[in-house]
Amino acid sequence: MQRSLMDRFIDGIEWIAAIFVGIVAADIFISVLLRKFFSASIPDSYDFGRLLLGILIFWGIAATSYRGTHITVDLLYSSSGPRAQRLMDVFATAVLLFVVTVQTYTLYDKVQQTRIDNVLTYDLNWPTWPFFAVAWIGDVSAVLLIAIRTYRLIFHPEDMERGHPHHSEAAES
Amino acid sequence: MNPDLIAAGGFVLLFVLMLLRVPVGMAMALVGVGGYAMLVNSTAALKLIGQTSMRTVTDYTFGVIPMFLLMGAFVSTSGISKELFRAANTFLGHRRGGLGIATIAACGGFAAISGSSVATAATFSTVAYPEMRRFGYPQSFATGVIAAGGTLGAMLPPSTVLAVYAIITQQDIGKLFVAGVLPGLLAICMHMITIAIIAHVKPDFLPAAPRASWEERIAALKNVWAPLVLFIFVIGGLYGGLFTPTEAGGMGAGGAFLIGVLRGRLSREGIRNSLLQATRTAAAVFTVLIGALLFGYFLTITQTPQKVTEFLTSLGLGRYGVLLLIMLMYLVLGCLMDAMAMIILTVPIIFPVITHLGFDPIWFGVIIVMTVELGLIHPPVGMNVFVIKSVIPEVSFSTIFKGVIPFICADLVRLGILIAFPIIALYLPSRM
Repeated sequence: MQRSLMDRFIDGIEWIAAIFVGIVAADIFISVLLRKFFSASIPDSYDFGRLLLGILIFWGIAATSYRGTHITVDLLYSSSGPRAQRLMDVFATAVLLFVVTVQTYTLYDKVQQTRIDNVLTYDLNWPTWPFFAVAWIGDVSAVLLIAIRTYRLIFHPEDMERGHPHHSEAAES
Repeated sequence: MNPDLIAAGGFVLLFVLMLLRVPVGMAMALVGVGGYAMLVNSTAALKLIGQTSMRTVTDYTFGVIPMFLLMGAFVSTSGISKELFRAANTFLGHRRGGLGIATIAACGGFAAISGSSVATAATFSTVAYPEMRRFGYPQSFATGVIAAGGTLGAMLPPSTVLAVYAIITQQDIGKLFVAGVLPGLLAICMHMITIAIIAHVKPDFLPAAPRASWEERIAALKNVWAPLVLFIFVIGGLYGGLFTPTEAGGMGAGGAFLIGVLRGRLSREGIRNSLLQATRTAAAVFTVLIGALLFGYFLTITQTPQKVTEFLTSLGLGRYGVLLLIMLMYLVLGCLMDAMAMIILTVPIIFPVITHLGFDPIWFGVIIVMTVELGLIHPPVGMNVFVIKSVIPEVSFSTIFKGVIPFICADLVRLGILIAFPIIALYLPSRM
């Protein structure tokens, strides 16, 4: 029960990012149509587009980090046995946890600084820091999810099989 | 501490981390920031992480990547691959080797929309392979032609790899997309010619399918015209200066969504899967972008690109000699890692050499993407070959590699043509 709740939570995080992709696409599509055909514009379309992009990427990184679908070099991994593969998974996830934790810590400074500097959007003069804060929460989620992944890889590796309902094409080129 | 020593140690550590399957972007970020901290100070290094990460993910220009990924996902989910293959087949299938030629044409159309080599190879393994086998095409040829057709994804716009190259080297993304058009079409033609030659030399090797009637051909075209018109509209708009690259991607995604929904090809489940697929790939690509930018600070502080430039130019090989050396390095690296990782890792170091030697950065983007794409099909790693093997498990790796050999030869000839005639890549961008 606990596991299925956790998997739904992870799906939810991925969904938040996916919804933002749709919103960014709609924002760009509608603003181009308005500009070309009606000489009108959505106020702050540019700023909203880039700020929402930031949110979707950080929330997307959270889900990608949990599912282990980052771009990796699999040369050694693919030719190793299951035990070595598991060790590599644990090591790589631990490094990932360290890097993303440091990133989250430093991003908090960036959010704070943006708030103090009172950076505003161009047309509506809305503060940008709340958007940065939502993006930052995505990074906090990434830390939590990677910590869960590390725990599961070490103590319950069988859960990770179930935790991979979708296979990513992250390494597409 | 000696910067050269730190630089060398950094590269060794980077390769070790990557071999231990640490995500490429994270390994680059760790080594880049760690090295920067050793050479400057840790406070400045930590500040770089927050600033670079936030600046990268909120850069409107970089929005081109998720937007084109979403367009590709919508179109792929709408089932265009089968329709493209069917349309190409009705026009070309009755010739000897015609099913192979139709596969290349359909791969070209699909790659142009999806921008993904791996997705193209995976999709056509299920769409074209059974049909080619049904008409008695050998396994090696059928899989070889799909592997080769898949590589078109990186060259024809919108190509994710070309977009990433443009971001790293601060080139115009639109110009790079457009620069890939003629080399991509050349690739399609040369792959088709290769199949025609094989069919001519071995007449019984690639049997012809029955000729389709004109009614069947027109009916097949009815299913593919809308996505193809969308592609021409988007890339044409980019070329004509109607949209920025990010806007072109947004228009493409919005247009693909509308076409899919209006034609009843995009269900709620399809929309959901497309959004998730675009998100996952975009997140993975942005992670390596952030890592590459952080690693770039380390390269700058250690002056690695300048030192590599000095070293290569002091070899006395001449500009084309150095270019050949670089391409050989990419071909070897192609045996070890995928195209995106190669571009992210090496371009920041190699690019200054190329500009120093007076080569055009846009042209080099096309050349380098074409070279790393060869790595997708040449042994021993060949990502496309692995993908095909995973979809068609009964075919052995050696059979697939045997099938791609003629196409590797054709690609090497094409590379030579593009080096000899840079105008092929540069003509369209020069008119923008």
